[in-house]
Amino acid sequence: MSLSPAAGPVPAAIGSGGTAGPPRDRRGAGHSPGRLAWLRLRADRTALASGAALVLFLLVALAAPLIELTYGIGPRDQFQDRLDGFGLPLGRAGGVSGEHFFGLEPRLGRDIFIRLVYGLRTSLFVALAAAVLTSVIGVVLGTLAGYLGGWLDAVVTWITDLTLALPFLVVALVLPPMLTLRFYGQRDTVPAAFGVGVLIVIFAVFGWTGTARLIRGQVIALREREFVAAARASGAGPWHMLFRELLPNLRAPILVSFSLTVPQFVTGEAALSFIGVGLTEETPSFGRMIYQSLEYLQTDPAFVLFPGVVIFALVLAVNLFGDALRDALDPKSAG
Amino acid sequence: MRQRAAVAVGGAFVLVSALSACSANTGGEPQVDTGRQATGVIATDPRDSAGPAPEVAGARRGGTFTILRETPISHLDPQRTYSFAGLMTVPLIARTLTTWKDDGEGNLRLVGDLAETPGRDVDDDCKVWEFRVRDGVRFEDGRPVTAREIGYGIARSFDPDLAGGPTYLQEWLVDTPQYDTAWDFQANRTSLPPGLTTPDDRTLRFEFARPRCDLPFAVSLPTTAPLPSDRDTGVDLGNAPFSSGPYKVTRYRAGVEIVMERNEHWDATTDPVRHQYPDRFVWSFGPTPDAAANRVIADNGADQSALSWDYVPASLIARVAGDAGLRARTILSPTPSANHLVINNARVTDLRVRQALNHAIDREGLVKVLGGRHVAVPMTTLMPPATIGHRTYDAYPAGPDGDPDKARELLGGQRPELVLGAADSSLEQQVATQLKGNLERAGFTITIRNIPDDAKLDEIKKSGNPWDLYLGSWAADWPSGASILPVLYDGRTIRAQGNSNHAYFNDPAINAEFDRILTLPPTEQSRQWAELDERIMEEHAPVVPLYVDVAYLVHGAKAGGIFVSSVFGSPALVDAHVKP
Amino acid sequence: MLRFLVKRTLSAVLTLFAVSVLTFLMFFALPRDPVSGMCPRNCNPERLERVRQELGLSDPLVVQYGGYMRGVVAGRELGAAQGGHCDAPCLGWSYVNNEAVTDTLVRVLPVTLSIVVPAAVLWLLLGMGLGLVSALRRGTWVDRVAIGFSLTGASLQLYFVGAVLLLIFVYTLGWLPVPGYTSLLDDPVRWAGGLVLAWLSLALLCSANYARLFRAQLLETLGEDFVRTARAKGLPRSAVYGRHALRAAISPVITVAGLDVGAALGGTVITETTFGIHGLGRTAVDAVRAGDLPTIMATVLAAAVFVVLANMLVDLLYAAVDPRVRLG
Repeated sequence: MSLSPAAGPVPAAIGSGGTAGPPRDRRGAGHSPGRLAWLRLRADRTALASGAALVLFLLVALAAPLIELTYGIGPRDQFQDRLDGFGLPLGRAGGVSGEHFFGLEPRLGRDIFIRLVYGLRTSLFVALAAAVLTSVIGVVLGTLAGYLGGWLDAVVTWITDLTLALPFLVVALVLPPMLTLRFYGQRDTVPAAFGVGVLIVIFAVFGWTGTARLIRGQVIALREREFVAAARASGAGPWHMLFRELLPNLRAPILVSFSLTVPQFVTGEAALSFIGVGLTEETPSFGRMIYQSLEYLQTDPAFVLFPGVVIFALVLAVNLFGDALRDALDPKSAG
Repeated sequence: MRQRAAVAVGGAFVLVSALSACSANTGGEPQVDTGRQATGVIATDPRDSAGPAPEVAGARRGGTFTILRETPISHLDPQRTYSFAGLMTVPLIARTLTTWKDDGEGNLRLVGDLAETPGRDVDDDCKVWEFRVRDGVRFEDGRPVTAREIGYGIARSFDPDLAGGPTYLQEWLVDTPQYDTAWDFQANRTSLPPGLTTPDDRTLRFEFARPRCDLPFAVSLPTTAPLPSDRDTGVDLGNAPFSSGPYKVTRYRAGVEIVMERNEHWDATTDPVRHQYPDRFVWSFGPTPDAAANRVIADNGADQSALSWDYVPASLIARVAGDAGLRARTILSPTPSANHLVINNARVTDLRVRQALNHAIDREGLVKVLGGRHVAVPMTTLMPPATIGHRTYDAYPAGPDGDPDKARELLGGQRPELVLGAADSSLEQQVATQLKGNLERAGFTITIRNIPDDAKLDEIKKSGNPWDLYLGSWAADWPSGASILPVLYDGRTIRAQGNSNHAYFNDPAINAEFDRILTLPPTEQSRQWAELDERIMEEHAPVVPLYVDVAYLVHGAKAGGIFVSSVFGSPALVDAHVKP
Repeated sequence: MLRFLVKRTLSAVLTLFAVSVLTFLMFFALPRDPVSGMCPRNCNPERLERVRQELGLSDPLVVQYGGYMRGVVAGRELGAAQGGHCDAPCLGWSYVNNEAVTDTLVRVLPVTLSIVVPAAVLWLLLGMGLGLVSALRRGTWVDRVAIGFSLTGASLQLYFVGAVLLLIFVYTLGWLPVPGYTSLLDDPVRWAGGLVLAWLSLALLCSANYARLFRAQLLETLGEDFVRTARAKGLPRSAVYGRHALRAAISPVITVAGLDVGAALGGTVITETTFGIHGLGRTAVDAVRAGDLPTIMATVLAAAVFVVLANMLVDLLYAAVDPRVRLG
C-alpha cells in the first residue's frame, strides 16, 4: 500500500529477525499470560484513558441513529438559510449554536455534529472490518508459510512481494466504478454499504502483507522450540499443532499488528478521499469531510477544526492504546 | 506525558482557528454586475481594423509577466488549440484572419487581424467570402505573411494527426463532419482543401456549398494562424510554434514552464489589438488554484507581477472579497459560460415533467453551494446574457428558491423516478446532492449515479446514455446565438457519440427555424435568436437553465492590463503589462 | 551469495512481469473507452477509430502486451501522431500529455526522489534519535516525552499538517517560499526551499515508527548476553552501546526503512497533492483518471521497480550489518 510511507509495511518490523521471546506460557508465577497483560494494562493510566476514549468513540458510532433521534437533525438535512451569500455559515465559529453543536458546513449547510457522528460510524466500521480481514488473511498465510515452509513458503513470500509492488492507488481508482457497473448497471441505486464493502475489500487485499510477514517470522521461531518439537514428537496432528500449540503463542503479535492496522485504515480512508477516490458524497465519512474542509482553513477554520480534531483524537487514542497494549504484552519494552 | 503532548497539539489547532474565527459572521450581500449584456458588431470600416492598438493607460515596457496555472497547456500548436488557456495564449504568438476588439465589458467589435477587414461576402449570400491580407505582417524570421501561409495553416488543420482544434472551417469547406476523409491533407501537402483558394498573394477566398454567415467569427479562431510549409514540424510544432505575433516561445518545458519573449519582427502598426509591453511572459504550471491565489495575494517577489489564471477558489472568496486592500487587485466579471441541468429528452418525454423540473430548482441555494455570486449568477434563459442580442425572460417563474408546490401540481400526483448522472469530483457531487434535495422536495425520486470526472463529457455525448439528468455547460466559440442554439438543440445532428446536443432534443419546427435564421446576415440574426431561445423554453423546456459562471481573478500589485475576455470568459493577455 | 542474488533477481523479474500483466488487464477492464479523451472537444467516431488502430487497441491483448514489452526492451515504431520512432526503453506515447512517456518519467522521477530521499534521511535521524534518547533514559520523563511526541506525529494527517504549515509559514509569515520543484543542479537553495516543508512534514509523521522500533530493539539487545558480557568485561558504556547494541538494533530499522523508502518512491501522492508538486504519484493518479494507459503502465512499473529493488537491497544490507544472518 503505497499511499503514504507511514502507512507502509511497518508491522513487519515488530519482532522481525525471528527474535520471538520464549513461549509465554512457561513464564509468570501462577498467572496466565493474558491475565498478566490485563493486570499490566489496568495499571497503565495512558491505557485506561485511551481505552476509555475508544469505548466512547465506539458507543457514539453504534448509537448514531439514537443520537440523531435525540438531536433532532439528520446527516442530510440542509440549513442553507443560515449561510451567507458566499455559502459560509452565519454566526460565530462556523455557526456553532445550541441547535448546531459544531456549526454548519459551508455550501450545503449540513450539520457538522451529526455528520461527524455518522462519519465516525462509517470510518470505524471500515477500519475495524478491514483490520479483522487483514489479520485473518495475514495469520492464515503467515502460519502456513512459516509452519509448512518449503515451496509453500516461497509462494507466499513471492505473493507478499507482489502485493507490495502492486499499484494500490490504481486499483483503488479503477475497481469501485468497475464493480458498481458490474453489480448495479448504470441506473440502479447503489446502496452506501456497497461502496463501504468495496473499500474494505481493497484495504484487506493490500493490507495483509505486514501481518503475514510478522506471523511467519514468529512461527518459524516457534517451530524450532522444544515444546513444539515435543508436541510433534508425541505425534500431534497438524491441526493440533496449529491451533493448540502455535496460535495461543501468536496472540500477542496478532493483537499488536491489529492495533497497528486500525489507525492505518482510518487514515487510509481519509487519504483516499483526499485524492478524490473512496466513498461517495451520500455516505458521511471522515475522509470526505476533512478533504472538503481543508480548503476553508482561512475562511471557516471551525469547519476544519471539528473533523480534524476528532480524527486526530481517534487515531491518537488507537495509537496510544496499541502502544500500551504492546507494552503490556511484552514487558521487556515497557517504559 | 503522552496526554500532555496531545494537549499541546490540540492547543495548536485552537491557535489556528483563532487566527480568523473570532468575529461573528453576520452576512452581507456581495454585489456583482449581472445584467450586463454584450453588444457586438462586425467592423466593416477598414479604419477599425487598422493598427496600432491604442496605448493602455499607465502601461510601460519591460518586466516579466508571470501566469500561474495548475494544469499545463498541453501544447501551443495554433491549429490544435481549443482550451481557453490555449485560445487566450495563442494570440501572443499567432495572428488570425480576424480578431475581437474587446473592452472586457461586453462591448465587442470584430476586426480584421491578418486581413484588412473582417471579410467580404462577395455575392451577399454568405457562400463566397474574400479576405484581403494586410501588408507588413512578418513571421519571427522576418518573412512576410501571405495568403499562402494562411491557406497552409488551414490546410494542415485537416491532418488527423493534428486533431484537437476547432473544426468549423474544415467541415464547412468540404460540407461534411468527416472532413479528414473528404480531403486527405497528408496526400495533398502542396495543395489547398477544396473551396479554399489564393487568387494572389494577398487574397484568400472561401467558397462554401451552403451559406456560412458566421464565417467572419469562425476565422477569429486560431485555425487561421499562418505557417510556412517548410516550418511545419507536425506534432512537434506544439512545443516550438513558429510565431507571427508579438511574442515567440523561447523555452518550452513540457508540463512545467513556457517562456515567451519579444518577437522583434512584429510591427505594432499592423496590429489592431495586441501590445508588446512585458519583456517576457512566463507560464508556470503546477500550483493548485488555492496555492496560486494565496501566492498572488501574498504579493512577494516575482509574484507581484503574476496572475493566478484559475478563478479564486470558492472557499477563499470571502477572504479576498472581504479585504478592501485587495479590491484593486481583483477582477470580477460574468462570463459567457452557461450551465444547465440537462434533461435527456430521449428519456424524459413528458413535457409536464420537464416543466416541473424547471419549477423545482432553488437557484439561490445552488449559488450558495457553488460559493456565492462571485462564482455563479442564476440564469433562466438558454443563452447566457453575454450573447449578442440576449433578452432576459423566465418561462417558469419559481422565485429565487424554487416553487415545489407548482412542480407538484404539474406532476399531478405522479412521482417520477429519475437518475442524475454526476461527475465524481467533489464539487459536482455537492451540486448533485443539492439538486437531489430540491427535486425530492418537489415530488421526484432521484438516484445519483457517479461518472468518473474525466469520462463524464464523453459519456453524456453518447446518444442513448442511461441517465435522465446531468449537468452540462456550454461556452460558445463566438458570442452569437448561431454558435449556441443550433449547436445544442438541432436534433438532426444527433449521432451515436460526440454529440453537443446533450439534451437529445429534436423538434422539426425548431430545426426549420434554425435553418431560416442561419441564412440571415449576422446583424439581423441576434434578435431572432433571442426570440427563438424563449420559444424553445416555453414550448419544450429541454433543459433547466441554472447559472452562468462568474470570473473572479486576483493578480499581483504590479500586474496590469488584465481583463476578462467577453468572448471566452478567461483572462485576456493582449494588454498585459508590468507596472513599475 | 551468488545463488542468493540469482534467485532474488529471478523472483524480482517475475514480480515485475506479474505487475505489468495485471495492470494491463485492469486497464482494459475499465468501464471507459481508452481512446475517449484523446481528442477533447471534437471527436467523431471515425477519428476515434483511427486512434484505436494507431494504438493497436483492436489487436488481441497478448499482441498488444507483446508490442509494449518489445518497445521497452528494443524500441518500436509508433505512428506519426505519436512522434514516430521511439527508442528503447520505449514506454509509448501519451496523447494526454502529448509527449513520449519516457520524457514524462525523466521529468517526474527527480521530483519524487528529491522529496523522498532527504525526507527519509530526516525521518531516520529524527526517529532513531528519539528512540536512542528514550532507550537511554528509559522510564524517565525524557522517554515519555520522546515517545509521546512520536505517537502524536504518527496520529497526525499529512494533508492536515501540510495545510496548516503552508498557511502559517508560507502564506501568513512568508518565511518560506511557496513549495515547488526546482532542479537541484539549477539552484540548490531554491531546490531545498521549495521542498523543505514536505520533508519536515514527512519526517514528523514517519519518525514515530522508527522511534518506537529502535527503542524496543535497543532495549532488547541491551538485555542480551553478548552485551552483558561486554559490560562485564569492563568496556566503557559508550563502547558497549556504540559497537554492540546499536549495531544489532539497527538491522530491523534498515528493513523497515528500506521498504518504506521503496514504497514512498513509488509515489507520495498525498505529499505531492498537499504541496502542489507534480511527481510520480500525482502523475500516476492523473493518468488513471484520464485513462492514459502508456503513462499508467510506466508509473506503475517504475513504482514496482522501486519496491522490488528496495526489497532486494534490504535483504543484502541485512546480511551485511547483522552477521547472524546467512544468505541461503
